[in-house]
Amino acid sequence: MGEVIVITSGKGGVGKTTSTANIGTGLAMMGKKVVLIDTDIGLRNLDVIMGLENRIVYNLVDVVENNCRIKQALIKDKRYPNLYLLPSAQTKDKSAVTPEQMKKLTGELRNEFDYILLDCPAGIEQGFKNAIAGADRALVVTTPEVSAVRDADRIIGLLEANEIKQTHLIVNRLRTDMVKEGNMMSSDDVVEILAVDLIGIVPDDEHIVISANNGEPLTGSDCQAGQAYMNICKRVLGEEVPYLDLEVTKTFFQKFAAIFRR
Amino acid sequence: MNDTVVIKGSKSGIILVLSPDASYETLKKDVAAKFQASASFWGAASKAISFKGYELSDEQKNEIIDIIQNNCQLSIVCIMEDDPLVESAFRKSIEDHAIKDKDISNTGQFYKGNLRSGQVLDVETSIIIIGDIKPGAKVISKGNVIILGSLKGNVYAGASGNPNAFVVALDMHPVQIRIADTIARSPDNPGKSSKYETKIAFLEDGNIYIEPLDKDVISDIRL
Repeated sequence: MGEVIVITSGKGGVGKTTSTANIGTGLAMMGKKVVLIDTDIGLRNLDVIMGLENRIVYNLVDVVENNCRIKQALIKDKRYPNLYLLPSAQTKDKSAVTPEQMKKLTGELRNEFDYILLDCPAGIEQGFKNAIAGADRALVVTTPEVSAVRDADRIIGLLEANEIKQTHLIVNRLRTDMVKEGNMMSSDDVVEILAVDLIGIVPDDEHIVISANNGEPLTGSDCQAGQAYMNICKRVLGEEVPYLDLEVTKTFFQKFAAIFRR
Repeated sequence: MNDTVVIKGSKSGIILVLSPDASYETLKKDVAAKFQASASFWGAASKAISFKGYELSDEQKNEIIDIIQNNCQLSIVCIMEDDPLVESAFRKSIEDHAIKDKDISNTGQFYKGNLRSGQVLDVETSIIIIGDIKPGAKVISKGNVIILGSLKGNVYAGASGNPNAFVVALDMHPVQIRIADTIARSPDNPGKSSKYETKIAFLEDGNIYIEPLDKDVISDIRL
C-alpha cells in the first residue's frame, strides 16, 4: 500500500511545487515508485518544473470525469522510469474536482505506487480541500517570513482538524548570512512558533531557479539545495539524517575581496 | 391459437407484433408455438428482429429471441429499434458530419488577440489568428490553423480527423501540435533558435513534420 503525502503551505510562492518536484525525484532516485499529482487546477506549474509540459494529453480532470483511464493520463518522467506525473487541467477551475473524487483517485493509485505526492494549490479553499482529502501525511512548506509562517500556522490547524496524522515542516529559502545578522528568523524560531517536527531546511539557492528553468529537478546534485532535498527524501523514508551545515562557503574571490574591504 | 402473436416477415427481418393486452407468460408460450409451427417455412436463415405492440424490457427481448432460436433454426442477428425519431436523428447527424467535413478546410474565420495560458479557442472551421498563442493556451480547429504571430502553445488541427489539415505560424515554437490523431511534442532541449521564420506543420505517413513554408511545401497543400 502506498503512502499519500500532501505538500502544502497556505501562502503562495514559498516552494510547494519545487519541493514536490524535488522530493518526488529524490524518492524515485532511491528506487521508489512515485506519482506526483498537480492539484492546482487552472494554474498548473508542476509539469513545467518537471519539464514534461509538452507530453500532456490528458489531465486530472479528464481522469475524474472518466474521459480517459488513469494510465493514459500518467506521464513518465524523462529521467526516472519509476516516476510519473498526473498533470492538472489548465482550462478548468478548482470546482471541477471534489474531495470524494480525489479520495477515490488516490485510493486507486495506492495499489500501484509507493508514494503519491500531491502538490497543493495556495489558499485554503476548494483546491486545498481536494488536495488534503486523500492524504495520509502532510509536508508544510514555509519560508522564514512572518506572513508565510502565519499562513503555515493556519494550515497546520486545518490539517489537524481534518485528521491528517503526521505533519512535518520544511523551512525553505533560508539564508544563513541573514540569520546570523539577525535579519531573518532561524529554522529554530520557525519550529518554535509552529510547534511541529522539522523534516528539512532548504537554503536559498540560485540553482533552484536554474533547475526550474531547465525543467530538471536538482535533488541529489552537488549544490546545497540538492543535498537538502535528498536529505528530506531520506527522512521521509524514515532514515535519521543530520542537518546540513548551511554555512555559506565563500569563494576564493569573495574572501579576497573581503580582505580589501577592511 | 389466437392472434396475440403476429409474425410479419421480410427478406432480412422479422417484425414480431405482440398484443399489448396479453400477459408476458402467454406471449412466451404463443411465440414458442408459432415459431415451432412455422419452423420449416423459415429454414436456417439469419434475420434481424424488431418488436411491436407489447413493451418489452431488454431482458424480455433476449428471452423471446432465445425462445425463437430454440423452436426453429432461425438465428437472430440483431434487434432493430423501430423508432422513426431515432432513425431520422441518426441520419441527420451523419449527413451533417459529411457536409461539414467537406467544407471545413475551405471556410474559415478570423480571431484577433493573444491567447493566454488557460484559454481555449475551439472552432468548427479553419481559423486565422492575428496574435500569439502563449504557452498553456490551446487552439482546436476542425480545419487548418494559421497564426499570424508566434505559436508557443498547443494546437489541434483537423480535430474531426482530417489528416490533410495543417498549421502555419510566423514563429513556430509549439509545445504540442496535434493533427487528426497524431500528436507531436516539442523537443526537450530546444536549441536557441531565436530566428523568426514562417513554418508549416503537416501530417505525412503518420508523422508530423515542421518545415519552412517554401514553394514546394505550398504546392503540396491540399485544401
